[in-house]
Amino acid sequence: MINSYYVQRTAQAIFTVFAVITITFVLIRQIPGGPTSYVRSQLAQQSGSVDMEQINTLVEAYTNVRPDEPLYVQYFNYITSVAQGDLGTSMYYSTPVSEIMAAAVPWTVFVMSVSLVLTFGIGISLGALTAYVEGSRFDVGLTLISIFLNSIPYYVLAIILVYALGYQLDWFPIGGLVGGDVTVGLNLGFIASAIYHAALPIASFVVTGFGIQALTMRGNSIRVLGEDYIRVARLRGIPPSEIALQYVGRNAILPMYTGMMISIGFMFGGSIIMEEIFAYPGVGYYMFRAISASDYPLMMGAFLIITIAVVLGIFVADLTYGKIDPRAGQGGNRESY
Amino acid sequence: MSDNSFTGRSEATKADVSAIQVDDPILEMRDASVTFDMDRGESRVLDQVNLDVQRNEILGVVGESGSGKSMFASALLDAVVDPGTLSGDITYHPDPDRSVDVLDLSPEQLRELRWEEISMVFQGAQSSFNPTTTIRDHFEETIEAHNYDMAQGMAHARELLEDLYLEPDRVLDAYPHELSGGMQQRALIALSLVLEPNVLVMDEPTAALDLLMQRSILSLLNDLQEKYDLTVVFITHDLPLVAGLADRLAVMYAFEFAEVGPADEIIRNPTHPYTRSLLKAVPNLDTPLQEMQPIEGMAPDPVDVPEGCSYHPRCPLADDVCRASNPAYHAVDDSDDHVAACFHWEQASDVLSLTTDGETEHAEIVGKQSADPVVSLTDVDVHFEQEADGGLLSIFDDPDLVHAVDDVSLDVYENDVVALVGESGCGKTTLGKTSIAAQRPTGGSVTYREQDVWDAKDGVGDVETPFEAIRRSLQMVHQDPGGSLNPNRKVQASLEAPLKHWNTGMDAEDRKERVFSMLEYVGMSPPEDYAGRYPHQLSGGEQQRVALIRALLMNPDLILADEAVSALDVSLRVEVMDLMLELQDVFDTSYLFISHNLSNARYFAGNAGGRIGVMYLGEIVEIGPAEEIIANPKHPYTKVLKWSTADLEVDQDVEEPPISSIDIPDPVDPPSGCRFHTRCPEAREACARQQPSLDEHASDDEHRVACFREYDQSHEYWESEPIDDGESTDLFADGSDAAEIESDD
Amino acid sequence: MTADDRTPDDVPFETVSSSEVTRGERIRATIDEWILVPARILWSDWRARVGTLIMLLYVLMGTVGVWLVDAPQIGEGERLIPPFTDPSYPLGTDSMGNDLFAQVVHATPPMLEMIVAGALFTTVMATIVGTFSGYKGGRTDKLLMMFTDILLTIPGLPLVIVIAVILEPREPWVIGIILTLNAWAGLARAIRSQVLTMREESFVEASRLMGLPTRTILVKDIVPGLMPYILVNFVNSARTVVFTSVGLYFLGILPFTNHNWGVMMNLAYTTGGALYTLRAAHWLLVPMAAIVLLSFGFILFAQGTDRLFNPRVRARHENNAGANSSDDADENSGKVSTHIQG
Repeated sequence: MINSYYVQRTAQAIFTVFAVITITFVLIRQIPGGPTSYVRSQLAQQSGSVDMEQINTLVEAYTNVRPDEPLYVQYFNYITSVAQGDLGTSMYYSTPVSEIMAAAVPWTVFVMSVSLVLTFGIGISLGALTAYVEGSRFDVGLTLISIFLNSIPYYVLAIILVYALGYQLDWFPIGGLVGGDVTVGLNLGFIASAIYHAALPIASFVVTGFGIQALTMRGNSIRVLGEDYIRVARLRGIPPSEIALQYVGRNAILPMYTGMMISIGFMFGGSIIMEEIFAYPGVGYYMFRAISASDYPLMMGAFLIITIAVVLGIFVADLTYGKIDPRAGQGGNRESY
Repeated sequence: MSDNSFTGRSEATKADVSAIQVDDPILEMRDASVTFDMDRGESRVLDQVNLDVQRNEILGVVGESGSGKSMFASALLDAVVDPGTLSGDITYHPDPDRSVDVLDLSPEQLRELRWEEISMVFQGAQSSFNPTTTIRDHFEETIEAHNYDMAQGMAHARELLEDLYLEPDRVLDAYPHELSGGMQQRALIALSLVLEPNVLVMDEPTAALDLLMQRSILSLLNDLQEKYDLTVVFITHDLPLVAGLADRLAVMYAFEFAEVGPADEIIRNPTHPYTRSLLKAVPNLDTPLQEMQPIEGMAPDPVDVPEGCSYHPRCPLADDVCRASNPAYHAVDDSDDHVAACFHWEQASDVLSLTTDGETEHAEIVGKQSADPVVSLTDVDVHFEQEADGGLLSIFDDPDLVHAVDDVSLDVYENDVVALVGESGCGKTTLGKTSIAAQRPTGGSVTYREQDVWDAKDGVGDVETPFEAIRRSLQMVHQDPGGSLNPNRKVQASLEAPLKHWNTGMDAEDRKERVFSMLEYVGMSPPEDYAGRYPHQLSGGEQQRVALIRALLMNPDLILADEAVSALDVSLRVEVMDLMLELQDVFDTSYLFISHNLSNARYFAGNAGGRIGVMYLGEIVEIGPAEEIIANPKHPYTKVLKWSTADLEVDQDVEEPPISSIDIPDPVDPPSGCRFHTRCPEAREACARQQPSLDEHASDDEHRVACFREYDQSHEYWESEPIDDGESTDLFADGSDAAEIESDD
Repeated sequence: MTADDRTPDDVPFETVSSSEVTRGERIRATIDEWILVPARILWSDWRARVGTLIMLLYVLMGTVGVWLVDAPQIGEGERLIPPFTDPSYPLGTDSMGNDLFAQVVHATPPMLEMIVAGALFTTVMATIVGTFSGYKGGRTDKLLMMFTDILLTIPGLPLVIVIAVILEPREPWVIGIILTLNAWAGLARAIRSQVLTMREESFVEASRLMGLPTRTILVKDIVPGLMPYILVNFVNSARTVVFTSVGLYFLGILPFTNHNWGVMMNLAYTTGGALYTLRAAHWLLVPMAAIVLLSFGFILFAQGTDRLFNPRVRARHENNAGANSSDDADENSGKVSTHIQG
């Protein structure tokens, strides 16, 4: 039973990635004018010769698709090269897309995972706290603040932060991954510099994101606090701290898992705007550069990488959820009570 | 606290209240009140209650829902939920010479009192467990929180679980949702006893369970009480259930006790008019049918309890004295221990006779049944696939087959009443739904007036009666009155929906008038008021009436009443069943009545001259005329069900169940041969190999039984060896995964 | 029982009406049920009240506002007038002398169009797929959910960007739909799981057994139960549309054919040098305030509406005196009985 759940989940993740690869393949061909005409015009500028064979070879070099081959062969070639990690070559940087991505991915993952942990950490703690003091001034105030902060788009806060703390006060850097003076590696200076550079993007996500999680957690906790098993546990003399963690916390956090999975996608997607504002060369930054420069191979490569990262994130979250909630992954629709 | 202070204070209000005292009280409750502040005023849900609990007794507290009996339970542990306030005095005597003022304890002392001295079991076992931790965690954290020795505590826990016929290892490692309702409830009882308390307060601990499970738990409880010297306070709405178990009974009405006394006294010689009416309202197997009567009127609202005796609006004996002043407790027949709060207790037995009343007679409609069946089931199978969650690969999984109904044949005639009885998960609801074409059988055929129902639906062959007509003719009344009406629609809209769709000729006004007249007919008057209400503004009985009307508006030939009265209060059940029978007369309809309660089935089917069918694990094991089944049950399982239907006998002690395993086997993998052989006290080797059939041996045309014991002496059953069930381990050998296939059951 | 005083042939089953209700009365009852009662309930919750007012303000701005305020013109005023100094330019001007207030107002109609298109698309799509998949079950359900799950895991913004780059949409309503192209998937899944439970409710089964068509059951029994959920998500997806569209305009990914708060931000950010000088800061802050206020209204409204569809709250706000008084009694005794049981 349990094994089949994991197998099923894995198959679904693989299938999703596969579907996205197919979508990118279709989209590349749909691009107005398409890569063919783009390459052709570039070549025309360079040499004036418009040799069809040469163009097709070049298009294949960039995009792994040879326009003169039958569709299914193109599709097959595209899938195999992506599966081998070959995402084509960036036209703008004239570098293999996979190399650019390999350098960029860790930074985006770093910013996103820290943001995710902080958003949910702060949201869950505050939500549980306000649930315990429901109706108090602290509760009402914090609820209002949560709603307000949640109504600010993250990029608006990002612009304000980069304007105030970056340009005007000069407290934080306005671009880059790390300072120029640190040596790459596991040394203190490097880590400190990385955190220093990532601080503002992380803050933009966390400050605008924790509010809704706090509200959700508050609602869940209030509901759980009204459950019979809380009353029975109190009568059994279970210490309040244990009730708060094992009973209220656990049962209130579980339903938030879905929200967390959605947040993974939301934050990774948001990296496009965020990294552009902070000039932070992660995956999103390159994707935006690629769009500005009509660099289709890079654009699609970045899209594919972001999607795969999100699918993986959700996959991991899903599997851990099965570990934490005993009711998950065992059919669900068979209720034995 | 001293007795002087108590008598001095209460003498002013209650004349001879001391009569409720006992010689060796373990708990004393004096002037205990629980109040809630509400917009409309103060709601008093426990009203100056005085009661003692005798050491080592089983005290049964009986009352309708909303009578304040759960408040009484919570008050004993000083565990009234916010914002309720508890006043008065509660004294606990750990031994006769010591007393503890429960309401004056520090939080830490209170924490030690609860569970270590006085423990509690709640109604919903499912909701009493933390769904995300194992049963073992619950035990361990309780032992740890009270600083008991872990190894010793867990050893005791295992012993308790075994006492309750559970496999300790399996249950401890399970999560709450992996256990069946009966297992959960027993695990909860074990959890409440793990710290070896002196007093166990049980608040409707079995209400959500099958009768058989209820009675089995009760008999286990009896053993536990003796083994561990417990004092048990058992709170229930079900008087017959607790009558055999309890030493003393206390009847609650309108937030105080109306009558208290030894159990046999209360049953044989009830003196409070309410107790007498309550006894008459309860369907049971012994009372002649004509004598069961509903109680008129409603229980009072806690904000607005009537002046004087709170029972006077419903009491046939009420006079001006009752309306003016609150009666004190009078000692009945000068006995020390039987008291009743009534001015007219001496007349009650004359006016409210418990024996033949003669006024209410039901028309016997036996003769009206037709020769041709309305609905006929032939060799019907319903097997469910248990699928995993809808996902990509689940298509390749091999699904488990649940045998909900196996090879059942049944005819229902016009004006017929058939009652199907069985435990949860026996497939009776599935069989019912199959009969009304709400469930497609996986084998066999269902015909409506000789038209195959599913052929009509699929348009196979010559369809004489179109499916739409069949659909209208077969209707259903559900178990849960609250859930059977759309919460977002007013009563009127819910009732008009079928008329709108089927009687297109009617205009809005006609529809409205018809709905009004129906409402009025079932006693919901003024109809304009009721029609404009949302379902939550109706009581359970009223909701059930609306559901019944809705079914009847279709003018059906057969109504499936799926546990239609089980969710109602005992005093309401007879009333609703009477209404259903009366409507049967008016509307010429048949009923398929499903119940886990043999006495309800007997009342319903018996009054209509119908049949009772007993189901076990997807098969009908016995079927026959209602009175015949009750008087002369032949199948061992029917005998078990009869045992589980508590009669109002008090002298007989709670006996061991005539069954060798409490939990029902998994319907995914039903036992071979006779399916009952794993629990049957009469089982022999032959039963495990061969399956008895309902038809082959014709002992009686009407009364048919599927058991080898009804076969003649030449059958090999009589030669084969009894199945050895001497070991206690056998009791749960087949109690594996008691999944209930009907979650609504 | 009342049956005793009736003659056998006085069966309620045959009853027909003897009076007529006028059309006017019926219309009035409908208006009361569908407009006045919800309005009263909304008004009784401060969050919903404030949220509604804010949303109304934007609707007015996008409808009446455009008539009252002239479209912004290049060079109509001084360059970079600070806000709240010149009554003709209440929110100041940008570096080309455009009135910022007029820009905010004139950006509203296309924004409203985008919001309505996007939010409608999301909720309608999700409701159809969710209810259909949940109610039908079986293979239909499996296939639909497989498709939904895939859409669900594809991150929204990158997908939208790629498609926007390719299609270069100009019509606001097309943009609205593109922005929510996969936003409905999550909602559809949530609705499906609710339908799965509701499908087994007794009252739904009763309707089914009465032979009511699936259409009627979905519309009358299932969807009303989902309405609170759908409405809250309508508002939430409206917010998503605002956030995403402004973000994409700000990045310059969507063509600058409409007035938009994001376009204002983009110009302030890239050409106005708002980052470097305090003089142009208001150019950036004005559109930001417009976005935040609108989305604040959305969230308040969503937080306050869960009461709207609660029949208990509803019954209290109905004009029916009879039901009114008895409801109070019922509700309170209900409260007590939960205390007693719980």
